[in-house]
Amino acid sequence: MTTTPRERAEAAAREDPLQVVATAGCVTVRVWQLPVRVIHWTIFSSVVVLSLTGFYIGTPYLSVGSDPRFVMGWARAAHNLAAFVFIAAIVARIIWAFTGNKWSRWDQFVPISKARRQNAWAGFRYYTFLTRTPPPGAGHNALAGATYLVVLAMFVVQIFTGMALLGLEAGGAPSALFGWVFAVLPIPWVRFVHHLIMWTTWGFVVHHVYSAVLMDTEEKTGLISSIFTGWKRLPADRL
Amino acid sequence: MLETDTRRDSIVESLLARGVTRRRFLEFCAATTAILALPVTYEARIAEALETAEKPTLVWLEFQDCAGNSESFLRARDPGVADIVLDILSVDYHETIMAAAGHQAEAAREEAIARGGHIVVVEGSVPTAHGGVYCTIGGKTAQQILAETVQGAAAVINTGTCSAYGGIPAAAPNPTGAVGVPELVSGVPVVNLPGCPMNVDNLTATIVHYLTFGALPATDGVGRPLFAYGERIHDHCERRAHFDAGQFALEWGDEGHRKGWCLYKMGCKGPSTFHNCPSQRWNGGTSWPIGAGHGCVGCSEPFFWDTMTPIYGRLPAPPGFGVTTSLEKIGAGIVGLTALGFGAHGVAKAVQRKRGGDAVQTPVEIDRSALRTGSDEEGGER
Ligand code: HEM
Ligand code: HEM
Ligand code: SF4
Repeated sequence: MTTTPRERAEAAAREDPLQVVATAGCVTVRVWQLPVRVIHWTIFSSVVVLSLTGFYIGTPYLSVGSDPRFVMGWARAAHNLAAFVFIAAIVARIIWAFTGNKWSRWDQFVPISKARRQNAWAGFRYYTFLTRTPPPGAGHNALAGATYLVVLAMFVVQIFTGMALLGLEAGGAPSALFGWVFAVLPIPWVRFVHHLIMWTTWGFVVHHVYSAVLMDTEEKTGLISSIFTGWKRLPADRL
Repeated sequence: MLETDTRRDSIVESLLARGVTRRRFLEFCAATTAILALPVTYEARIAEALETAEKPTLVWLEFQDCAGNSESFLRARDPGVADIVLDILSVDYHETIMAAAGHQAEAAREEAIARGGHIVVVEGSVPTAHGGVYCTIGGKTAQQILAETVQGAAAVINTGTCSAYGGIPAAAPNPTGAVGVPELVSGVPVVNLPGCPMNVDNLTATIVHYLTFGALPATDGVGRPLFAYGERIHDHCERRAHFDAGQFALEWGDEGHRKGWCLYKMGCKGPSTFHNCPSQRWNGGTSWPIGAGHGCVGCSEPFFWDTMTPIYGRLPAPPGFGVTTSLEKIGAGIVGLTALGFGAHGVAKAVQRKRGGDAVQTPVEIDRSALRTGSDEEGGER
């Protein structure tokens, strides 16, 4: 039986050398599988396009002169196209939460186990200066996971309100499937919520990038590069 | 005409008697077929139905209203058509236009109810607070009158946003407890023709539909006939090309406004409103609000007074910030404050780090200590 963290890490490395490499007291682990990374950056780029076009749709700061350029037409077309890329990426991530490795599973986001709740509490203590020790773990910590859950909820609202707004102009399936949204919220308020969530999304991104930098300088695990390469270098006892 | 017209003769007979030519009548049938968005082949069917149908009795109730729908009703396209409209219907009771008054008037209403099979048109909302004291006629509350009048009725047609959804009297804080008719009536088919006011062309078309097919037209989720409210204003607006092109009026009377560019930035609610104004237009097809240079206010949507305001702002005002604060400012504030907050957090974290303490051992430190001791066991035993 394996007992020490080091032995456990070496056993894991033997079992799956492509995902885990054990070295002097440390393990290098492929925490984020390729789909997680591709989905992450697909979401990010579609959110950028959706925000640029959505901001223009909401606040058309360019009023072109007498020489029309179809600006609004293109903005709306690009918004709708990016919206479907975005929806596909969100759906893919949800599926991956049930099929991916243990760091991308749904229970990393929903703190139902006692251990995850303790980890979230440790994270809270770290952020509120009560301790210098960041919460242990290999994937994202439980507090970050819960934050991503809130972001997912925002995105789901964004998809529902967006599809309902699409139904206003397109009729058909979006209207049939999402028309009920207007029974919950009058049309102008649906626009309001859809617009507001754009801003809260960017509030999240500010926090998200800050936290990534903070944790990376604190733990030096290669956290930021991990979302590009998938690999994190961790003390062996983190595995 | 109104209270003497107790003969139940056919519509065409009475039209001919009043000097409306057959040609005019067929023109009306063609126009109504178009409003109902029916194929042209239905023209003949509609003409036939109107020729044989008995004139339906119409009881027009006015509650908490401004009589705007009555105005609209009396302003049918041109005299010939106005005749047709008034003649298709045998208006047995209408407070504003009936000759009778007092007990005589109430008797006309009671007679119509006793005969049954009448069409009830309602204008204005019904107050329900404090026993309904805010609107009484002949000692009866609006609620009582409504309940009496819909007994045995063939259909209820709500004209205007007030009778359909409560409208302006029901706007916050709704002191009279005003509600729309559909909330109070059951067992009788009800159709809503909201708008402030409704367009009379849609009222006639609804009634012609009823006479031709024996049923009210198909409606959307909020009880509005699809033929009149199935399409969004924004999608049939004459300024739409300017919207897509990005040409907007930015101020009243500026170059864009004078050139007829899109009124989106001036708060036009056309993108949120379903009504056939762009095609049907008003006052006999003369013009309509956006055609006249003012944005749509969304008057045919439920609760428009509370949800479509500010009239000159595109989105509702953020609650709790006053009407002059835009969502854009709030949004930029959210992002800015997040940045400031976490910036401060970062500074504080750096200070805490400087002070040292019980931080976790990083892989970098593990590597260094492994190098120092020449052993690779240490990291694992922490
Ligand atoms: C994070 C993702 C998204 C962001 C940041 C975003 C942003 C925006 C913004 C700011 C507006 C302008 C709202 C207004 O002021 O009226 C807008 C409009 C709209 N969005 Fe999105 N959106 C997102 C996702 C989606 C999705 C998933 C759909 C689904 C199809 C969608 C469909 C629409 C539609 C149809 C409109 C209205 C366009 C119009 O009125 O002409 N959006 N979006
Ligand atoms: C709309 C924008 C973004 C969203 C919604 C988002 C969402 C997420 C989510 C859900 C994860 C967890 C990985 C997973 O299980 O899928 C994650 C991880 C990560 N993201 Fe983002 N992200 C965004 C933008 C960014 C940006 C701009 C950066 C730039 C540095 C970034 C850097 C990272 C890093 C370093 C991780 C790994 C963090 C960890 O271990 O918890 N993200 N992100
Ligand atoms: S004026 Fe109003 S309805 Fe017409 S295109 Fe512009 S926003 Fe749409």
